[in-house]
Amino acid sequence: MKTKILIFLLFTIVTSMFAKCQSSSSGQNDPWTQQQLLDPADLAKVLNDPKSVQPIVFSVGMQAVIKGSIDIGPAMKADNLNTLKEKLSKLPKDSQIVIYCGCCPFSRCPNVRPAIALLKEMQFSNYKLLNLPQNIKVDWIDKGYPMTD
Amino acid sequence: MKILILFVALLLFESTILTLSAQSTGLEQGNKTPEIKLSNTKGDTVALSSLKGKLVLIDFWATWCAPCVAEQSELAKLYHKFNQSVFTNGKGFEIYGVSLDAKKTSWENFITTNKISWIQVSDLKFWRSPVAKTYNIQALPFNILIDGNGIIVAKNLHGVELENRIAKFLRK
Repeated sequence: MKTKILIFLLFTIVTSMFAKCQSSSSGQNDPWTQQQLLDPADLAKVLNDPKSVQPIVFSVGMQAVIKGSIDIGPAMKADNLNTLKEKLSKLPKDSQIVIYCGCCPFSRCPNVRPAIALLKEMQFSNYKLLNLPQNIKVDWIDKGYPMTD
Repeated sequence: MKILILFVALLLFESTILTLSAQSTGLEQGNKTPEIKLSNTKGDTVALSSLKGKLVLIDFWATWCAPCVAEQSELAKLYHKFNQSVFTNGKGFEIYGVSLDAKKTSWENFITTNKISWIQVSDLKFWRSPVAKTYNIQALPFNILIDGNGIIVAKNLHGVELENRIAKFLRK
């Protein structure tokens, strides 16, 4: 009996952990790899240290919230994606680039995929997607990371 | 064996608490809601407190939030159904829509196109809106139902659950 209870409990835990992983990570068909996800804490550290090499940060969402980021506008719109393309065309292919939106979880965000797909298509080699699993408020603003004025 | 079961149970308990706290807003049922004073599309300030005496649904949403947009037609039905109703805890039903949009044109166009007739306010500050901070909003859509005294009577209910909760307060 005890063994059965134990098996049941272990099964429940494994299932719940699996469900959590599913909800927090991105889908299998996303155009980015796990290695291309940048931890917000790491970006905040770099932005707060003027001696660090600063990446070029593009906001492809509703509003540029992160300090020093360039406001492209929602990348789901063709004209905004063209603006991003124009700006990228002036940069060396190995530029350190960070993309973020932060409106919603990745599963619902309409903006990060077109932007990342564009970077891939243009053969940039050193770009990251800021890992904001929930949104820019929870994963950046609430943590007190640097913001635009 | 008992220790192992206890350990496993504790782990389960902890994961449940973590999940719940992630959805918590810091405002619980029975608490009075903080004041909100924001502008409507015409630029006139509409205070939440001006709706005192009514049953009010504070709906936090944005045009960029797909589930929020999908919910607006359901809110319209509730609004027309209960607008003139008398409740045990308020006279009339009102919706106070707080948008976390960033661009006025998107917000205004959506309201006009969808003929939204209830109160709509925004500071157009996206997730940087002080209201999002005050109400500790973690995700959209999010709503709070308050009674005539501004006391929270329900939190984040949607669809049939929301309709049933409102109907529960109808004066018979």
